[in-house]
Amino acid sequence: MVVICVLMLIPFYWVLKTSLTGENIYAYPPAIIPVDPHLFNYVDVWYMIPFPRYLLNSVIVTLMAVCGNLLFNTAAGYALTRDFPAKRWVVLLLLSCMLIPFQATIIPAYLITSWLGVLNTHLGIALPMLSTIICIFIFKASFEAVPRSLIDAARIDGLSEWRVMVRIMLPLSKPAIATNVILNSIWSWNAFMWPLIITRSPEMQTLPLGLARFLSVMENTTGALYAFVVLVLVPGLAIFLMAQKEFIQGLTSGATKG
Amino acid sequence: MPMPPPIAAVEEAASPSLSSGVQLRGVVKAYGSTQVVHGVDLDIADKEFVVFVGPSGCGKSTLLRMIAGLEDITGGQIRIDGRVVNELDPSDRDVAMVFQDYALYPHMTVFENMAFSLRYRGVAKAEIRRRVDEAARILDIESLVARMPRQLSGGQRQRVAMGRAIVRDPRVFLFDEPLSNLDAKLRVAMRTEIKRLRERVAITTIYVTHDQVEAMTLADRIVILNHGRIEQVGTPEEVYDTPATVFVASFIGAPPMNLLPARQEDGTLAIAGGAAMPRIGAAEGRALLAGIRPEHLVPAGTPGTLPLIDARATLVEPLGSDTLVSFEVAGTPAIARLPPRSVRRAGEMVPLAVAADNIHVFDQQTGQRI
Ligand SMILES: Nc1ncnc2c1ncn2[C@@H]1O[C@H](COP(=O)(O)OP(=O)(O)OP(=O)(O)O)[C@@H](O)[C@H]1O
Ligand SMILES: [Mg+2]
Repeated sequence: MVVICVLMLIPFYWVLKTSLTGENIYAYPPAIIPVDPHLFNYVDVWYMIPFPRYLLNSVIVTLMAVCGNLLFNTAAGYALTRDFPAKRWVVLLLLSCMLIPFQATIIPAYLITSWLGVLNTHLGIALPMLSTIICIFIFKASFEAVPRSLIDAARIDGLSEWRVMVRIMLPLSKPAIATNVILNSIWSWNAFMWPLIITRSPEMQTLPLGLARFLSVMENTTGALYAFVVLVLVPGLAIFLMAQKEFIQGLTSGATKG
Repeated sequence: MPMPPPIAAVEEAASPSLSSGVQLRGVVKAYGSTQVVHGVDLDIADKEFVVFVGPSGCGKSTLLRMIAGLEDITGGQIRIDGRVVNELDPSDRDVAMVFQDYALYPHMTVFENMAFSLRYRGVAKAEIRRRVDEAARILDIESLVARMPRQLSGGQRQRVAMGRAIVRDPRVFLFDEPLSNLDAKLRVAMRTEIKRLRERVAITTIYVTHDQVEAMTLADRIVILNHGRIEQVGTPEEVYDTPATVFVASFIGAPPMNLLPARQEDGTLAIAGGAAMPRIGAAEGRALLAGIRPEHLVPAGTPGTLPLIDARATLVEPLGSDTLVSFEVAGTPAIARLPPRSVRRAGEMVPLAVAADNIHVFDQQTGQRI
C-alpha cells in the first residue's frame, strides 16, 4: 500500500520539483533533491501570461457549475424520490442520456448556447455543466436513505415540503453534497473542449485553455510550464483534501444504494 | 332576512360530543384498486385514550396516518374537535405523533428536536425553553437535553420522542407502536410510564399496537381491527367479558379463548366431545362455537359449575402462579389455566368443569356472538 502510494506520488513530486528549479527534465542522471529551488518560474507565469485572468475565469465558471449542480441536482434528486406519473420513463430517459458521449452533443449544445446569446460568456461556459445526471442519482440515493418517518415527523411538526428539504434532507446528505462539490469542481476546472469551442476572446479563456496556449507559445520554458501545471492542480487538490472524508462516504453510500 | 345556519352547524351545536374529540365517518382507504380500510365509523371522546389493536396488516397504521394527515383519505370524513380535516395538511391538524422508530432528527440535539416544531409555530424563545424544560422534567430526561440522538439508548430516545409530542400540547396524540422496538423488560417499564403520563397530561390519544396486553392495560376503550374493519369497540372489560366476534374472542386474552364446535338441541348446548350444557336461546340446529376462556375451566366439583369433560393432559406448563394444561376435545386443541400443582405431568386425567355463564356462544358461519 505504502509502495503504491509512493509510486503514485512520484510524478507529482517530479512536477513540483521541476517547477521549482527549471532544470531540463531529460537531464541524466536526474537529481532527486531539487538543486537550488526558487520561485521565479511562478513569478514568470504570473506575469508573462494573463494568468490572473484565466484563474478568475476558471473560478467563476467552477463556482457557477457547482452552485448550479447543487441547486438542480438536489431538486431533481428530491423529485425522483417521489411518485409521479411516468416517473419510470424519466429515470430511463436520464439513464440513457448518460450513455451519450459529450462530444456527440457539442453541436446542438453550441446551437442552443448561441440561441440563448451566451456564447463567449461565463454562463455559456458553465451552461452544459450546470447539472450532471450521475450527481442527480447520488442525491436521489442519499435522499432515499433518509427514513420515511423523519419526513413524516417533520411534516407533522409543521414544515412545508421546501423546508423539509432544506432542514432535514440536506443536512442529512452532507456526503452527497461533498461528492457533488468535488466532482463538479474538478470536472469544470478541467473542462477543455467545451470552453475551447465556446470562447472567442482570450479574456474569457479558462486555465486549461491558457495552459494549451502557453504550451504553443513558449516551448522550452520547462520550469515555467510545470509551475503553471502546479498552479492549475492546487485548487482541485485543496478542495478534494478538504472534503475527502465526506466524499468517500458519498461515493460508497451512492454505490450500495444503486 | 337572516339566513338559516347551515345544517352541519345546527347538528354540531345540537350535539356537544361532536365538537370535541375525534370522529371517523365511513373512512375508506384504497391503494390503487386494493381497498385496505373499509368504511370505519368511530367516535373518540375528548381526553379519551383509545387503542387500535389488531394483527399485522389489518390497517391500524393506515388509519392512524389518515388521522395524522400523512395519507389521503379515499372516502369518508375525519373530524378533529368538530372540524373536518380531510383536506388539511398535517401541520394544520394540530396533532403530534410518536413513531415506532422514534424519528428523532439525527442532526439536532435533544433540545432542538423537542423545540423544532414550536419554532415553526411562532412560539417565543422563552416560552419554548419553558415548555421543553417542563416536558424534560416530566419525562425525566433533563440531563440529556444537550445530547445528540445517537448518544441515547433506545428507551431514552423513546422518551425524547414523547417529549417532542408533549411540548406541542396538541389536540390529539398519535402513537404508532411506540414500544415495539424495545426489549421486553423496557417495554413493560415504558408502558407503566405512559400510563403514569396519562394522568399528568390529559389529551385525546390514539395508540396503535398489535400487543393485546398493551391494549388492555392502557386503553379507556379498545378498537379491535381486522382486515380493515372494526370488529368491536369497547372498554377492556367489555371486549374481554363479551367479545362480539370469534376474532375478538381469540385475539384478546392469553392464552386465547378455547373455541369448541357445538350445536344447540332441545334447549341444551351439546359441545362435541364434552357434556351438554343447559342453554336458552334461539340458535336451534345451527353450527356453533362454544368459547371458554382457559381461566374459566376449573377442576370438577367447584361450586356453581357443571362438569364438562374428563380431559387427558397432553402438555403441562407450570408458570408458578398457575399451571397451563393442554388437552384435546374431540380433536380440537384446548388449554386450561388451573391452580398451581393441581396437575403434575402429561398423561394425567383432569376432570374439568365450567360455569354456564362463562360459555360464549358464536355462530360458526358468521363468527358473530349469539
Ligand atoms: N403504500 C402502500 N401501497 C399499497 N398497499 C399498502 C401501502 N401501505 C400499506 N399497504 C397495505 O395496507 C394494509 C394495511 O397496512 P398497515 O400498515 O396499516 O398495517 P398495520 O395494521 O399497521 O400492520 P403492522 O402491525 O404490521 O404495522 C396492508 O395490507 C398493507 O399491505
Ligand atoms: Mg403498522
